[in-house]
Amino acid sequence: MARKRSRLDIITDMLASIQDKGGEIKPTHLMYKSNLSHDQMKSYLDELVGKELIGKIKKSSYDYIIITDKGHSFLQKLREMQEFERTFGI
Amino acid sequence: MFEIVYSPAWFYGKDLVIDAVGIIILFLIGFFSLKYYKINPAKKTYLWLALSFFMISLSFLFKILTNFRIYYDVDITRNIAGMVYSYDLVRYTDILFYIGTLANRILMLLGLYALYSIYSEHSKSEAWFSAYLLVIVAVFTHSNYYIFHITSFILVMLISLKYIQNYRKNKSQPARLLAASFGIITISHLLFCFILMSQLLYVAAEIIQLIGFLLLLITFIRVLKDGKKKKPA
Repeated sequence: MARKRSRLDIITDMLASIQDKGGEIKPTHLMYKSNLSHDQMKSYLDELVGKELIGKIKKSSYDYIIITDKGHSFLQKLREMQEFERTFGI
Repeated sequence: MFEIVYSPAWFYGKDLVIDAVGIIILFLIGFFSLKYYKINPAKKTYLWLALSFFMISLSFLFKILTNFRIYYDVDITRNIAGMVYSYDLVRYTDILFYIGTLANRILMLLGLYALYSIYSEHSKSEAWFSAYLLVIVAVFTHSNYYIFHITSFILVMLISLKYIQNYRKNKSQPARLLAASFGIITISHLLFCFILMSQLLYVAAEIIQLIGFLLLLITFIRVLKDGKKKKPA
């Protein structure tokens, strides 16, 4: 059975989803890709925007979520952490 | 005050460099673990890992300080029956050697035990009692150097077995390197148990330890590199 995702796992999934889509994604796509409910995603988005890891832009009347430079470097740190955890078995 | 010097004269200083390399590598891993703990304070194992590596790193620092004093700061050195003894007539009451050796041994054993306890289930009382026993081993076996080395050998071996299990579980290359580096360090600890038999064993143990440390550094670099390019699992 897969373990329950931690808060940090969810943030990693969200940032990775945005990055995989070339740095910008529609909110609904992000919700599906990150496996989150609407309320959950809203709460995470508010937190990530507050920490300047992501931003919101409008493009041809659609809302998009973009990953910032700070978001890119934070995602890299999170991936390092995951590899560190896997290597040390913690 | 008599102090036993395990290293042959031609190896003086080189062992200190090897230990210094170990300090840097262990400190680096501890530092990164602490950095990750700051990102994810909910995961206390990061803090324990950092603490373990810092303690082991500090124990090597005490070893260097103690050996440095013996090698370069003694008044008279004698070779008696193939074993080098040094004694200091002026500072007969000098307790630096005793404190340095004690700090080295206590920090090494507690650091290794803290690392081992990350991977094994202990109640708090069991953990404190084990830590107490390790301090007893370090303090009351001061003259029987091999008891300290046997104890540290057992602890490093147990840690290595945990890393082998981890490699078998996730099959990643860095996990394999980590298991290999700890395996090599285990061999060096085994050789340290017999250094009184020959000074060359001390040299061999130090060189093997250096190889283990360098492999640990390669493992760490690989973790950072793979973390950059891999997608999270």
